[in-house]
Amino acid sequence: MAKGNKHRKSVSYAKWAYIFIAPFFISYIIFTLVPQALTVYNSFFENYQNGLQQIGPNFVGLGNYVKLLTPDKAGTIDFLRYFGNAMGMWIAGAIPQFLIALLLAVLFTSARLNLKGQGIAKTIIYMPNLIMASAFSMLIFALFSNVGPINKWLVASGIIEKSFDFLSYKIPVRTIIAFMNFIMWFGNTTIVLMAGIMGIDQSLFESANIDGANSVHVFFDITLPLLMPILSYALITSLIGGIQMFDVPQVISNGKGTPNMTSTTVIMMLNNYLSTSKNYGMAGALSVMLFIITGILSMFVYRMLAKQYKK
Amino acid sequence: MKKLLVALLAVLMVLSLAACGKKPEPTPDPEPTPAAEEGKVFHIYAWNEEFKGFFEKYYKVPEGIEVVWTIVPNEGTQYQDAVDLALLNQESASADDKVDMFLAEADYILKYTNSPYTQDVRKLGVTDFSNTYQYTVEAASDANGVCKGVSFQCCPAGMIYRRSIAKDVLGTDDPAEVQAAVSSWEKFDNVAKLAHDKGYLMTSSYAEDYRVFSNNTSMPWVDKDNNLQIDPAIQTWMDQAEMYVKEGYTLTSGVWDAETTAEAAKDGKAFCFFGPAWYYNFCMGPAFGDDAVKEGTDSVGDWGLVDGPQAFFWGGTWLLAATGSDNPTMLKDVMNAFINNEEVCENLIKNEAQFTNNQKVNNKYAADPEFGNKYLGGQNDTAVFAEGAKNIKFQNQTIYDQGCNEGIQNYFVEYLKGTVTKEEAMKNFYKALKEKYPAINVPEN
Repeated sequence: MAKGNKHRKSVSYAKWAYIFIAPFFISYIIFTLVPQALTVYNSFFENYQNGLQQIGPNFVGLGNYVKLLTPDKAGTIDFLRYFGNAMGMWIAGAIPQFLIALLLAVLFTSARLNLKGQGIAKTIIYMPNLIMASAFSMLIFALFSNVGPINKWLVASGIIEKSFDFLSYKIPVRTIIAFMNFIMWFGNTTIVLMAGIMGIDQSLFESANIDGANSVHVFFDITLPLLMPILSYALITSLIGGIQMFDVPQVISNGKGTPNMTSTTVIMMLNNYLSTSKNYGMAGALSVMLFIITGILSMFVYRMLAKQYKK
Repeated sequence: MKKLLVALLAVLMVLSLAACGKKPEPTPDPEPTPAAEEGKVFHIYAWNEEFKGFFEKYYKVPEGIEVVWTIVPNEGTQYQDAVDLALLNQESASADDKVDMFLAEADYILKYTNSPYTQDVRKLGVTDFSNTYQYTVEAASDANGVCKGVSFQCCPAGMIYRRSIAKDVLGTDDPAEVQAAVSSWEKFDNVAKLAHDKGYLMTSSYAEDYRVFSNNTSMPWVDKDNNLQIDPAIQTWMDQAEMYVKEGYTLTSGVWDAETTAEAAKDGKAFCFFGPAWYYNFCMGPAFGDDAVKEGTDSVGDWGLVDGPQAFFWGGTWLLAATGSDNPTMLKDVMNAFINNEEVCENLIKNEAQFTNNQKVNNKYAADPEFGNKYLGGQNDTAVFAEGAKNIKFQNQTIYDQGCNEGIQNYFVEYLKGTVTKEEAMKNFYKALKEKYPAINVPEN
């Protein structure tokens, strides 16, 4: 028996680990890596349908990228403009989202406060995230429409004379979209940040208390620095979600990016390319550009936040 | 032993995951079915419930056949996109999933008739076109004159005016006198001013009469070399819409918006609407007492129909025969029923206020002094349409018409609302069109 054991010692258990993680990598390769490579490949071809007639694929080199990044007469590059739209709306929603989530996460995890009814509160703030974004958008669309309840109420209570066309003006439309993103995601961020805070060693908080630090000091000198890895994770995932913003502005503006394409996002542009003409060439080029930009921005955010943490 | 078990489990796990990713085996296509042995499922694509309602009421489905409907909304070319996808996959689809028949509108019928995805209906056995209107056959025919489908309705259109408002504004609700008052666009403008002075709207949407103009264009939206062109008639419409919004003669809501339809309700303020029979018997909710309309707010009977300033037609629903259908007999049967079965056509007129694609039946009702439409206060609308139907020409169509017609309305309205300049509105229209249809050359912007 001893002999057998000796022989078996040379067996590496690592291979079991590889077998267990293999399914992920296999499905990653099939469902993510290969399609991604195909997207890059397609972006070099002219390939679309004109009616029921297939055009291409014809190799055009970087032609699609050039088309995508050529400014129009007024000097605007639509792709960048739509990207800017999405970023603007994301930032407007993300600032309250992160501030409120941080505050709530600190309150909920505070041993000193030990708030009651936390369970219900957490469930309620998470609720909006459970509704499908498009359904939520339909609801808001109906609420703010010209014949919707908000306008009826504003007119009935004499605040405005005639119903106001909220969904036709830039600032109201963008505010509504940013607000919806905030409502849908602050609960989720709260939960993530709470997990981060609870991962911090409790003894640090205790010793700070003994040393007489007030809650502001504790927050800025203990909680925030130690929360950085999770915070940067939450921020980067939120950023990526912002870049890929689609369903809310699509439904709110009925796919038109009203007014004057100021609520059009890059993914709405992608949708325009794909839905009717199946324009894989332009859609591919757009996706690759978006991939590169997302990579750069994520790296930037990560560097900025995680650097402090490494110190 | 334990290790063996672990290994086994691991292998099983991998296998089960791999199995998940595998596509289900396509069921092998059954041998080409002999005529007697046809498909059990009749699959129809449509964009609303209109035809479905008539089909279920008036067509007796042969025993043993199940009718499956796929209904996709028309707006934003969603319906076309869905049909395209289904047709492109037609060959590999299983017998039950194959499209047998699909509905198409005038705006895009050309795309399908000029493709191999539709088939010759004469070969199927739809041969009697002696009573149908010529334009409906031309519209369903490809460049070589091969007919690929039939229309179950004929769609000459007119001006649908509100009798009570006409009395107040013009002092009469008699169709002949109302027609005399609006027989040209200048006269129409004068009536608009009169209506406005009395606190009414002329129309309830800036695009309400869009189809009157777009249907009287002198050139197609896209020329032979794929260049977009804006017809003078469209230009006239834009000028009119601008003036009407500025003067308060109309609203900035779209034709299909709830606000526009609301103006057809009992307390609505709109003098007139524009459309064919299907418009006031299917789309103008309060005018025909739709179930969704609150009781007591409908306006049934308070309407009249005249030709209006300019003759036009709008839409039409063609039933197209999909290539590869496994129910050719039923396909033929359905088509014949809706154009040649007089009982079905009479029911469509009597019960559904339709204007059918059977001249004989239409003319019978047009000449019948007893016949009248209750939505129009007993006026014989069939007689009005029977005249209009003689002049319909199906021309200047392209496969891009739906995108162009919807696009110009959608983007021009931003200018009417004052959120963009006219140049910006046109620029946005061109951009959206180019994203949708890469083949079109739009003016450089």
